[in-house]
Order: sequence, then C-alpha cells, then structure tokens
Amino acid sequence: MSLLRSHAGTDGGRGGERAPTVPAPPGPLATPHTGPARWARDLAMGMRFAAGGGREGWIRTALTAAGVALGVAVLLLGSSVPTLMNSWHGREKARENLGQAHEPRPAGNTVRYASVDTTFRGAPIRGRLVRPDGAHPPIPPGIRHLPGPGRMLVSPALKELLDSPEGALLRDRLDYTVAGVIGDDGLLGPQELTYVAQSATLAAPDGYRIDHFGKSWDPPPMRAPVVLLVIMTCVALMMPVMVFIGTSVRFGNERRERRLAALRLVGADVRMTRRIASGEALFGSLLGLAGGAVLFLGGRQFASVITLWDVNVFPSDVAPGPLAAALIALLVPTAAVLVTLFAQRGVTVEPLGIVRNRPPIRRRLWWRLALPAVGTLLLVPLAWQRPWTDTPLNTIRLAAGSMLLLFGVTALLPWLVDAVVGRLRGGPVPWQLAVRRLQLSSGSATRAVSGITVAVAGAIAIHMLLTGMQAGYTHAYAQSGKLPQLGLWGTSKGWPQTQRALAALRGTTGVTAVRGAIDGLVGPMPLAGRAPARGARATVAVGSCAELRRLARLGSCRDGDTFLTDIPDRDRVIAPGATIDLNAPLAEDDPVAPHPWKIPGTARTARLIAPGHGPGTFSYDLLATPSALDTNRLNGPMTEIKVDFDRATPDAVEHIRNTAARIDPSMNEFSAVDNPHTQQYTSVRNGLFVGAAITLLLIGAGLIISTVEQLYERRRLLSTLDAYGTRRATLGWSVLWQTTLPVVLGLGLALGCGLALGSLLLSMIDSAVIVDWPAVAAMTGIGGGVILFVTVLSLPPLWRMMRPEGLRTE
Amino acid sequence: MTPAGSLLHASALRKAYGTTPALDGADFSLHAGEVVAVMGPSGSGKSTLLHCLAGIIGPDSGTVHYGNRELTAMSDAERSALRRADFGFVFQFGQLVPELTCLENVALPLRLTGAKRKEAEARSLEWLERLEVDTVAAKRPGEVSGGQGQRVAVARALAGTPRVVFADEPTGALDSLNGERVMTLLTEASRATSAAVVLVTHEARVAAYSDREVVVRDGVAREMVGAV
Repeated sequence: MSLLRSHAGTDGGRGGERAPTVPAPPGPLATPHTGPARWARDLAMGMRFAAGGGREGWIRTALTAAGVALGVAVLLLGSSVPTLMNSWHGREKARENLGQAHEPRPAGNTVRYASVDTTFRGAPIRGRLVRPDGAHPPIPPGIRHLPGPGRMLVSPALKELLDSPEGALLRDRLDYTVAGVIGDDGLLGPQELTYVAQSATLAAPDGYRIDHFGKSWDPPPMRAPVVLLVIMTCVALMMPVMVFIGTSVRFGNERRERRLAALRLVGADVRMTRRIASGEALFGSLLGLAGGAVLFLGGRQFASVITLWDVNVFPSDVAPGPLAAALIALLVPTAAVLVTLFAQRGVTVEPLGIVRNRPPIRRRLWWRLALPAVGTLLLVPLAWQRPWTDTPLNTIRLAAGSMLLLFGVTALLPWLVDAVVGRLRGGPVPWQLAVRRLQLSSGSATRAVSGITVAVAGAIAIHMLLTGMQAGYTHAYAQSGKLPQLGLWGTSKGWPQTQRALAALRGTTGVTAVRGAIDGLVGPMPLAGRAPARGARATVAVGSCAELRRLARLGSCRDGDTFLTDIPDRDRVIAPGATIDLNAPLAEDDPVAPHPWKIPGTARTARLIAPGHGPGTFSYDLLATPSALDTNRLNGPMTEIKVDFDRATPDAVEHIRNTAARIDPSMNEFSAVDNPHTQQYTSVRNGLFVGAAITLLLIGAGLIISTVEQLYERRRLLSTLDAYGTRRATLGWSVLWQTTLPVVLGLGLALGCGLALGSLLLSMIDSAVIVDWPAVAAMTGIGGGVILFVTVLSLPPLWRMMRPEGLRTE
Repeated sequence: MTPAGSLLHASALRKAYGTTPALDGADFSLHAGEVVAVMGPSGSGKSTLLHCLAGIIGPDSGTVHYGNRELTAMSDAERSALRRADFGFVFQFGQLVPELTCLENVALPLRLTGAKRKEAEARSLEWLERLEVDTVAAKRPGEVSGGQGQRVAVARALAGTPRVVFADEPTGALDSLNGERVMTLLTEASRATSAAVVLVTHEARVAAYSDREVVVRDGVAREMVGAV
C-alpha cells in the first residue's frame, strides 16, 4: 500500500485526474525529495535487493562481506596496537618501582625490593626479591599477600615450566617453594615467565627500599629506526587492506548492472540506479563489518600464544581505541558506497541494457609519475638530514612520503600493464587469449595486483630497514659469539665472598676457566673548595695474586702488593706514591666523602695479558691485592667474573647461571650466548612474513574471486570454446598467463620501489645500504606463489564452466 | 556403423535433464554435403539433439556414429579432438571471443588444431572476404554489428574446412534481412566446401534453405514429409 501511495505521489497531478474514489495524493513528506532522504531511500532499496536477491544475490553479498570482513579484521588488529602497547606498559608501570626516587626509611609499610632477572635457555625470566620491613608492606598487582620467607609466587607459564621435566635445571636455580600463582594484573602477558620471592637475606646494598608499587615513568620514546619501522609497517599493511576492501565491494558488479537495467525499465533514473547499486554494496560491507568484528574477536584469542619482539599480551589487550573503532565503522561502509559510485562512472544503465560511455581509457603517465616523485622529494631531504630528528613534521613527511611512493606504485601499475601488454603480439593461443583479455580490460586484475605490489614493496623496504638496524648488532655478536664466555657482575660483598664464588664456578659442569676480581672506580683527591675534576677516573681490580695473574704478567707477587698496568692512556694521577680517592663520586652531585689512599711507592708495572675494551680484554689502571686495598672503601665495588665454558657440554650456561644464583641471586649476566637482537630480529622477520603472507592471501582471495566472477560472466563463451574442442589446458594456461602478466609486472615495480624506499630509509638512519636478497627473493616468491594459488584454485570452476550445460538456453 | 551413405547417424537417443526428458528415442541421419534443418518448438529437444550429434554431450542411451566411429563410445578427449578437426559451430549469439579481433576469432579453431598463426590468419582472411566481412577483420566483436558478427561466426565455423557444421539458431538474434544474408552465405559456403550442415531453427523461412527438414517434438525426431 505504501508503495502505491508513494507512486501516486511521484505522479504528482495525475492522481487528481483519476476517479474521485481514488485517495488524494499524499503531501510532499510521503515521497522524500531532499538529498539525504532520497539517498537513504535508494540505499535502503539497494540493501533490500541485496538481502532479497535469492541464492545468487546472497552468494555475491557473502563474497563481498567475506572480503570486507577480512579487511576489517586486519584494520581492527592494526588499530589495536597503540592500546595494546598502552595496556602492556600500564601493567609494567603498575607493578614496578625499582629505584624509587626518594628512598623511604624502614617502616611497617616498606619493603626491600631487588631485581633478580635471569635467562633460561634463551627465555628471559623476570625475578623480583622482596623482604618486608614490617607487617604492612606494599603489594604489587596480581598478588594478595607477599610470599613468606623462602617461598615464591610464580606466573602460570613459569609454574608450567617448573613443573615440566624441561624445567629441572631451573628448579635448582629458583630454590623457593611455590606458594601461589600471580594473577593476570601482575603479568605483562600470559606467556611471561616471572616470579616474586621473599629472601630472608636480602639486605643493602642489594635492591631498593620502597613504600609503594607503581612507577610513574613514561616508556622511552621510540628510536627513529623503530618509528620508521612502525610507520612503514602501517603503510605497507594497511594499504593492501584498503585496496582489498575496494576490490571486495565491486564483486558481482557486472551482474548488478544488468539487474539495475530492469529498474530503469520501471522508471528509476540513472542516479537512482547508482545509489541503489551503492546500497547493495553497502549491505555487503555492513555484513562484512559485523563479520570482521566477529573475526577479530575470535582471532584475538590467539594473541596469548604469540610473542613478537618480546611482547606477549592478553587477548583483552587487543582492542582498538574507541575513536579508531568508530572511524573503521564509519569509513568502511562509506568507502563501499564511494567505490561503487566510482565504479559506475562512465557506465549508464539504460532500460534495455548497459551502455558503457567510457571511451577506451588512455592512461596518462604524468600524474602517475608525479605521486612517487613527490614522495621521493619528501623523503630525500630527510635522508640528507643527519642525524634524523624525530619531530612531528619529520614524522608526517616520512609517512606522507612513504605513502605517496607506495601509492605511486599502485598508480603506475595500470599504466605499466597497459603499456607492456599493448606491445605484446603473437604467441600460442593461451598467451594470445590472456594478452588480448588484458588489452581489452586489465582494470580488475591490476586493481587486485596493486595490493600485492604495495605489500611486497613495503615488505622489501621494511626488511632492508631491519637488516640495516640489525647489521651492527649482528656483527658485534658474530664477533663476541665466537668466545664461549659468560660475564657475571654484582655488588661486591668483600674478597672472601668473591673467592668463594670463583671456586664454586670453577667446580661447575662445563666450565673451563674462570677469572675474576673486585672492580672499582677511583679518582684524584678533590682540591679544597673545588668540585672534583670530571673525567679523571681510573679502574682498579682487587684480587689475590693468583687471580691477578690471570689478568696481567705480574712477576713476583705477594698479598699486599700493588701494580700499575701498562695501559697506554692511563691518567697521570695514577702513579706510585700518589694519593687518590677510593670513594670517587660516580656522578657530579654524588655527595660522598673522599676516601684517600696512597698508591704504594713500591708499586710495580704489570703488563695486561689482553688489554682493550672488547670482549675478552681488560682495561684496568691499577691492580691491588686484598691486603693492599680495602674494597669496602671503594664507591660501589663490583665483583666481575668472566667464565669460559665448553660449548659441547649440554646446558653448560644454565649450570653456570645456577651456580651464580646460589652465590648471589642478584648477580647480573652479560653473555653472547643468547643474542636478544637476533631473537628480536627473527621474531620481527617472522611477524613480517606472517603479515605479508596474510596480506598476499587477501589479495590472492580477491584475485580468485574476480577471476572466477569473470569466468562466470563468460560461461557461455567457455561452453562454446569447449564445443569447438578447445583443450582444458589451453584455457588453464590462459588463466595462468592472465594472472602472471600483471603480477610479474607488479612485482618488478614493487622490487624497484621497495629497493628505492629501503635505501632512502637506511640513509635516514645513517646505515649502509644493505639489500637482504634472500628476503627479497622470499617476498617475490610469495608473490609468485599467489599466481599459482590463484590459477590452481581457478581451474575447477573454469572446467566446470566449460561444460556444455552453458550452451543450453531453455 | 552408419547406414550406407550417411555421414552421421544417431539412433534411439534418450537424454533427460533431471526428471525432464529432452530426447526420447530420437533417430537422425545426415549425408555428406547435405543441409538438414532440425525444427521444433521451444523445449522440444532440438538443441539437445544437436549437442548429442556433435558429441558435446553424451546421451543417456542410444548411439551416434560418425563415419565408422561411434561417438558415444569415445572419451571426452577423443570427442574434443574430433570436434576440433571435423566439426564447425555457429550459435545464436555468435559467441565470439570478445577480446580477440574478428580475424583472430576466425583463426582460433585453426590454431587450436595446431596451425601456425600467420597461416591460420591468411586462411581466415579469405573466409572473411568470402563472407563479405573482411573490412571488420581488425575490429573486436563488440565493435561490429550483429549481422557482421554472425557472419564472422560462420567464417569461424567454416575456416577449418569441417565436414559437418552445426548451427544452432544462427539467425535467432538477427533481423530478417541480415538473417537471410547469413543463411545464404552459410549454405553457399558449406555447399562449396561439401560440408554437411545441421541447422537448428524454429523459423520456417530459415529451414527453407535446407535440403531436408526434421521435426523434433517431445524428444522424438521425425522426417518432415514433402519438405523441399
């Protein structure tokens, strides 16, 4: 009834000429004439068509929705990164307070708190020791009560490790009774290995006294290369997703146009049909939006098993900010409408069919070249400006330049495909069919392939950036990693304790050599009324003659002797008979009283065995035996131990760590055995591959759908070709060539753009231009895999459509 | 084995689509160089008969013999090879490959049988001239009129010098003037090359170009008595 009334209203005055029994036409409100209302009406009509289009209509809507859902899920994931990192940092801030700014006096509400981090088979374990001063100590999040003496609270992942046979060695190191499990609030992520234990022996100078948990600190600002990396990753991953969403809403466009011709026949005008078509796409995109949200919510459950760059989070942390979520919810359907309207340009749906008004598109090169050129112009000055300064303007220039360069690739690709296939002639039948098809219309294939191009170009640039960032670390570790050596250091508790530590380490499985001493910094005595001279520093090593002999050639040595080393750049205040300050301030405002000590006039010169500042070398100025120098008078004396071990002994490093933990759990370790940069590099590279693979799969899915759709449109023709006796292989090869040509051209363009962008980015971080050719090969290989993937999956529908049923008309 | 003198012979063909029978014991015979019109109302099974005769589909039962070979006993690959070598096709809407030029469309069957491109295109051009559409050789099907496109399709069907041309409503999408021109050219050219034609149509004036008419009704083919 409402429809009839509406039509009557549209007819205007004609309604009045009818018989008096016909109701008078309703007023203007019944038929919306205003722009937004008309838009809403037509979009709603399109949505109704999409919903009521029968099986075929639903398949098309489902394809659009599936494509949009995948894209939306990736967008939601990408926009969750800031909130994810905020949650992660927030929990770290809430549970930490090492080095409280103003150390409180011991009271009922204070606790001594120390870091006892360790590593087990490459996995970092965060350890904290506590020793309450009274009955009401502060409690970190995730814990109800601090554990009792000799007991510890552990994270679920650590508990699992300790309970497993693999954790046997670690159980020896963490020699506390497990008293409970730390709740999620006290963990950075579900996979985190952490514990809080109470030590009855924890005392100054180890740890800090604190009266609360929760440290007000801001995460350090990301370094320039990391900023570059994040921007590039966002651009490289988000652009293909946008391209894919754009492709998805165009699924079934040709059939939709034919159906709209029927609407023109019953009176719809051209603009109306375009709005109705947009409404159909809008319906698919809204379903996709909902599907994407569901996919995202389901997919984020896997967050707990993924650790990327040492970051592992809870599924609930993976949530986009409200603004980002609102923007996605608004922009995706809007994009669907705009893309459909854009696709309809040059197409006029007439009552008796489709008229394509668009003349053959002559793709112009100038504006396509202008995009990457402007991008390069934005980036080149940044590459010259050294060092990179992380200002908002530079960040915007970098993001804009990278986007223009990458977007320029997508703009250049259609021109390149047209230019190349336009010149191709001859060849066997499959080749000819493919080339001719691309000459006639390369738009849909090129659109989908542009996604691959952006992803591959971006991934190559990111890989180059990563390789440059890691090159220094990798080189250093490659050098130091040749030495099977582990360094341990911690606050010194006197020479006897250091001697016991050395003995214990020498008795440890897999240890081949140990050398150690107590280190301290010394300086010149301050002049009366003047601040201590800055930079006048020297290092002293205190140890038994036997230990000192491992550092230098001493000649004769007795307890009580002192030696000056032959280090070439020694400060001239370090001389026999000179008085120096053992309690030299470690900072300019360090309020310490001088501890004068006279270097014995009998001090002889000793030649360091391995002088230098690298791994396995020493740079001591003074060597003293324990009776010659009281280490308690030094400012912050440290026990420094170097342990050589046998690589062939299984778990030698873990045995050493266990021994060190028994000596002093707060002892720190430096070693090249677990290169964190290599691990980070590997995890980021894996992440990048996963991201690139997902992106390329998205593009592949888009290509398959557009290829199958194209085949479906041509099913009658395919049946005809089958009637002629055309071999299946002929058409199979033609599909392969049809996919291969744009993909290969796209990959070539991506390679050039990726290498150029990567070189510019490396110049910005002042790194040599290094091309990670295996990564380049892998990326292009994935692109090649997409060709095969698309072709193989297109063959079954191709063969099905080559059946003679396509010739039937009745 | 075909009866004496017949090139193509079908007997007792039955074919059903689901529960709907399309052919119900149809017999058919075609002699070399003969033009036979298959007539009948919509849905009578005439296109299905053509598809069975050409080996495009297999009947549920019955046999089709082409010369000494039984089509119904051949594999799909063998039937495809036979269609490439010995048969030509014209359909209602031409079904030209839209991305290929008219010349390339005509050359396509020749190239599918392994002919070299230049040779195939030279022969195709001759056929386009013969069918008076050589002026559109370099154009794509979307750029030519329906009549021109259908003549290109006829040229494509005849270019491979087939022994049998199967034409399914070849003038169905054309006006009467163009339809008559296409039929004249098709029959003249096929007679000139001694190709037999199986012409499916529901129009009497198109059937008038044939030597013999067969009417298909309810899936059964009957010889039309008194046909020209």
